[in-house]
Amino acid sequence: MLLGVSFEVSFVLTCRGTAGGGIMLKITNLSKSYKSDKKAVDSLNLQVDSGDIFGFIGHNGAGKTTTIRAVVGILDFEEGDITIDGISIKDNPVACKQKMAYIPDNPDLYEHLSGIAYLNFIGDIYQVGKAERMELIERYANAFELTPNLGDSISSYSHGMKQKLAIISAFIHKPKLLVLDEPFVGLDPKAAYTLKLFMSDLCKEGSAIFFSTHVLEVAEKLCNKIAIIKGGRLVSCGTTEEVKGNSSLEDVFLELIETK
Amino acid sequence: MKKVMRLLSVELWAVLTDMLSLGKSRTKKPKVLYAGLLFFVAVLSVVSFMYSLMIGTVLRMNQSLEYLPAIIMAAACVIIVMTTVFKVKGTVFGFRDYDLLMSLPVSISEIIASRLVILYSFNFIFVIILIVPMMAAYGILAQPSILFYLICSIVMFFLPLVPIVIASFLGTAIALAASKFRHQNVLNILFSIGLMVSFIGLSFLFDGNEQQLTDLGRTMINQVESIYPLAPLFLKAVVEYDLFALVLFIGISILAFFLYTVLVKIIFKKMNTAMMTGTARANFKMRELKTSSPWKALYIKEVKRFFASPLYVLNTGIGIVLLTIGTIAIIFVDLGTLLGDPLAAAQITVNFPLAISFCVVMTCPSTASISLEGRSLWIMKSLPVTYKQVYISKVAVNFSIVAPAILDAAIIGYVLKLGMTETFLLVLVTTASAVFVSLLGLLLNLIMPNFTWISEVTVIKQSAAMIVMIFLGFTYVGIQILLLFAIRSFLLVYGVFLILTIVLNIILYVALITYGKKRYMEL
Repeated sequence: MLLGVSFEVSFVLTCRGTAGGGIMLKITNLSKSYKSDKKAVDSLNLQVDSGDIFGFIGHNGAGKTTTIRAVVGILDFEEGDITIDGISIKDNPVACKQKMAYIPDNPDLYEHLSGIAYLNFIGDIYQVGKAERMELIERYANAFELTPNLGDSISSYSHGMKQKLAIISAFIHKPKLLVLDEPFVGLDPKAAYTLKLFMSDLCKEGSAIFFSTHVLEVAEKLCNKIAIIKGGRLVSCGTTEEVKGNSSLEDVFLELIETK
Repeated sequence: MKKVMRLLSVELWAVLTDMLSLGKSRTKKPKVLYAGLLFFVAVLSVVSFMYSLMIGTVLRMNQSLEYLPAIIMAAACVIIVMTTVFKVKGTVFGFRDYDLLMSLPVSISEIIASRLVILYSFNFIFVIILIVPMMAAYGILAQPSILFYLICSIVMFFLPLVPIVIASFLGTAIALAASKFRHQNVLNILFSIGLMVSFIGLSFLFDGNEQQLTDLGRTMINQVESIYPLAPLFLKAVVEYDLFALVLFIGISILAFFLYTVLVKIIFKKMNTAMMTGTARANFKMRELKTSSPWKALYIKEVKRFFASPLYVLNTGIGIVLLTIGTIAIIFVDLGTLLGDPLAAAQITVNFPLAISFCVVMTCPSTASISLEGRSLWIMKSLPVTYKQVYISKVAVNFSIVAPAILDAAIIGYVLKLGMTETFLLVLVTTASAVFVSLLGLLLNLIMPNFTWISEVTVIKQSAAMIVMIFLGFTYVGIQILLLFAIRSFLLVYGVFLILTIVLNIILYVALITYGKKRYMEL
């Protein structure tokens, strides 16, 4: 019994959705090894439903980024399957990616482009209409106070500005599934607040968000579902209330990481 | 000193791993790659030896053999200047790990020392590849005393110093001047091309009118002196065993390099700040956006990437610039009058189709296009585009850059009065070669990618993919030369060559869509 939450570790934990909405992301028995003897992700099962803000937490090297990179189609995997809105990423990666947006933990963007050229490039790839594209770029760039800098080369941007640009590029094509790896790192408090608002808005429109974070307070307040990963395996998963019980998420996390 | 050595070892290891694209599988690849690199150096040395032997033989016929060492020395210096000019930014100034290095408890002098030693080391390898074979060739032809080898070996160590200083000044001036403008890359490219062309032009034009075959050596040394004033000192030291000239040559080299290091130390921080500070204006106002199809967007992105790096343009695009300038030259300038020798002019004219192939294989931006995605690779891999779309956009940009060669081929065919069929065949061969170089470059980069580079120089100039590309490109031109020697019919040679290139293109395309598909997921 750990702070009111108990789990058996002998079985592979499966995290199923509870909401009535469609399944936006389904990970089934995902395994990924970088070396033959060690699995970075081991038989991971997880489901994110439409409208969910799903927090994915774990210590460094737990397998969060590997899982996320497999979800967005950057990383190949040996076992299992991942479906986005019912389509397998293995069978039809382009259709899956068309429904998704991804922001990595380190926003290395095309430094040779200006901010606006990068956003326009993303708009072209996702075929966002001209009027809508301009409207959304203006809306998000104004909200993140980046509009004056859009004409400058990305190479002149600070880390936070690059992060903001990556966020804007993700929002302008209205993804059904938004996948973020440590999205709040490098953002100023106002931008972090703005991002949280936009994340909520996106989910209200029926999309889903799957993101990793080390900021447990944010996860606790923002997410309706949380999964905790350790050594490539899920050690806890469910609604935020189920996972944390009567304790704080921080206490639950520390205890799970220490003991399991 | 200990810190300099430590910095140096870290830097050299980083450059070496970048160069050999060791990446993740450090345990598997090195042996093959080291062997490949050694083989490449060996081939270059043999080519260099043959070149020295050939020039030496011509010079001996004209009783001017003693000029051979100075000519090769000047060639080495020109190569050093041309290759180092674009390395200065990225090695001495404006390098990516500047912030990290400056935050470490090491002095600026130690950082500068480690940087300059790296610059020197790579240029010294060039010198060895050119000078040692020259020593062998001169040894065979002139049978000099042991003093020649001794002095040459000593001088070799000091040879790169002055060219490095010249290149550093030029490179820094270009980068600084360009940084004052908004479209600094375009200006940087234009400055650099201007520099290269005037360099080549100078060597052609100097004393050209009075040139006679009987005075070939004298004329060549005049050209060499005009390009590089230290050449006569080198000549006196090495051939005439003049001790004073030797001391003066070494003294001037050391003094120039010493003054340069002092200057670098003074301006190091200032220059790095100037080069690394972007030209942010923060005055953007939303305007009408142009929309494109996904394919066109990928293509435009690749074009922008190409022109964003002067180093990339000049190393992978200079072949086509030189070819086009050469083509324009043969339309408007009579080579016979320019060179003062109709025979030499005729020889150059006849070999122009080979020059086309040579320039085409040198135009290979696709060889670095995958690696240049660098840490931004995640963007391409997470976008809703297929691996084929990505590959085709990169191949298409390479083809677009090399495409003027097709027009050049048509013009050359017309100017050389090759006849309709021959000209048409030349155009077809050039088109097929353009496809060949674009596909081969991409495939090589897929086999040997490097995404963790610190400086663009390592993937554009020193990567394993680029070295293999140059080697295979030269082999491709070599086959053409062999065919021309073996079959003395233009139509037959270019007919066979066209079929060969088309077959190679089909093989490369199949490899790209089969192996390339698998490889894309592994990147």
